[in-house]
Amino acid sequence: MPVDGYAVNWAAVVIAAAVGVAGMAVMLLGSFLLAPRRPSEAKAIAYESGIRPTPLAWTQFTVRYYIFAILFLIFSVEAVFLFPWALVFLETATYVFYAMIMFIAILLFGVAYAWRKGVLQWR
Amino acid sequence: MNADFTLLIPEFILAGAGFLVLLVDLLLPREQEHRRNAFTSATAVLGLAVTGVVAATTQMNTGESFHDGLLFIDRYSLLFKVLFVGIGIAVVVMSVDYVAEKMSHPGEYYALIIFAVLGATLMAESGELLTAFISIELLSFSLYVLVGLSRGDARTAEASTKYILLGAISTAIMLYGISQLFGVMGTTRFTEMGGLLAAAGDWDMTLISGFVMVLAGLGFKLSMAPFHMWAPDVYEGAPTPITALIATLSKAAAIALLLRFLAEVGSGAVHEWRMPLAVLAAATMVIGSLSALPQTNIKRLLAYSSIAQIGFVLVGIVPNTVIGANAVLLHVIGYAFTNLAAFTVVIIIELKLGKETIADFAGLSKRAPVLAMIMTGALFSLAGLPIFAGFLTKFYLFTSAVDKSLEWLVVVAVATSVISLYYYIRIVREMYITETEDESKLPVPALLGLLAWVLFAGTIAVGIYPAPFVDATNAAVTVLTPWVAL
Repeated sequence: MPVDGYAVNWAAVVIAAAVGVAGMAVMLLGSFLLAPRRPSEAKAIAYESGIRPTPLAWTQFTVRYYIFAILFLIFSVEAVFLFPWALVFLETATYVFYAMIMFIAILLFGVAYAWRKGVLQWR
Repeated sequence: MNADFTLLIPEFILAGAGFLVLLVDLLLPREQEHRRNAFTSATAVLGLAVTGVVAATTQMNTGESFHDGLLFIDRYSLLFKVLFVGIGIAVVVMSVDYVAEKMSHPGEYYALIIFAVLGATLMAESGELLTAFISIELLSFSLYVLVGLSRGDARTAEASTKYILLGAISTAIMLYGISQLFGVMGTTRFTEMGGLLAAAGDWDMTLISGFVMVLAGLGFKLSMAPFHMWAPDVYEGAPTPITALIATLSKAAAIALLLRFLAEVGSGAVHEWRMPLAVLAAATMVIGSLSALPQTNIKRLLAYSSIAQIGFVLVGIVPNTVIGANAVLLHVIGYAFTNLAAFTVVIIIELKLGKETIADFAGLSKRAPVLAMIMTGALFSLAGLPIFAGFLTKFYLFTSAVDKSLEWLVVVAVATSVISLYYYIRIVREMYITETEDESKLPVPALLGLLAWVLFAGTIAVGIYPAPFVDATNAAVTVLTPWVAL
């Protein structure tokens, strides 16, 4: 049973994390102790490549785009699975072909469902 | 490798039924809310019933492993498949009036119940950690949406947010645990893991933490202490039929998976996990029973009572024997009947009175004598009084623990049973003794009344004539291979 070694492998991760945290702490502490502090109004503005940040962040924006994002997800996930399948399906067993047809059919159902429920209308 | 897809015909029917429900919902005009509700629920019941009948008639003698043990199609999974389909039908039936009155989107509602049943079924079948994980996710995602489906209620929003956030955390913990177990053993199949564990000497840190994290993830689904905090809020905020679904379906599915996992993987190393799990079982029983005492909301009370019930089930899992597993399966069946009967009565009260506190049950024996009787029966069964299912199944559970000299655990179990009797009797007292001014008769909806009768009959059947159920659990347990050799 390959028990030994697994935990040991993680030692590298733990060391890297410890070094990272320690390094960050030293840097933040160093700048906190060494840096001179002369606050001014111009310095307090968020940096937007020199452009004055306007309007305020507390404005309304439409959230309706999330539904389009979800619909887009259907197609992008479909494409991710279709590419590898298209490359190999000639050599694989027959059921792989039908499995993919079923997968596409389910996603198509999702699109038809969204359409019929009126998601694609901008109301 | 066995890739015989005909083994999965019941699951295909179930998935198809889910889509069919959505399709029926799409094809009916949007304005006819009531007709959509009726048609979609009827389709859902039909799909579930066909699945159950097909599984029970074709897979009675099947004992196959699909794809080298990704899924096991055997008597064990058949028992749970039929149980889950039954729970699904009961929940759909008890939802019809509730959805018509309180909710919109009937199509999504019933389809998600079917997908939850599908996820639960796959959990009971899975013989491999990642398959189990995906099945858990299918069940959980359906439940997350169902809990939040009646929008516009602040408690529902709270329940749904808590459920999804805590669920996500527990999922992450479980997945990390799976990755550690895979890292150590190089496999996620239960049977192979079982062999490796039996051969291993002392467990190292990685193995222990992986095992603990997988159990923690399952413990969350079971609402086992110390992972029970979410249960009362979610139970209270969810639509009541969905509360019933969580209390029965998701608990039974998690027990099915836990039992198979511990039997196949853990049997060779029982001494490593028996004591910790026994302590958790005791903690679950004590916390569940004591926290139920001050509750005033019936749904919160049933939530704590279900936590305590999970503790009792763990009493049967801890010994890791054939008798214990038999008792667990029998208790799960009896508990499903009992709890669904209790929730049916709660739904009727909620629909007729619009309230759900224990005080609202006052004078129920005069206002609706049949409902009061069924509720009393269900509560006595939960407490473990004779002629009802709970007495017999608890008796088996405790006996199995004594066999492995876990007497202290049985003492805790009996003590908490007595405590639980107190808070169950409180409801009975409200119904039969407390006087009310309003003594008008409560009209009982025909469908819900019939369902309550059927479930009540089931509760008594398990209690006085358990032979057919015991036969089924016996046949189910014998497929868990490691025990046959013991």
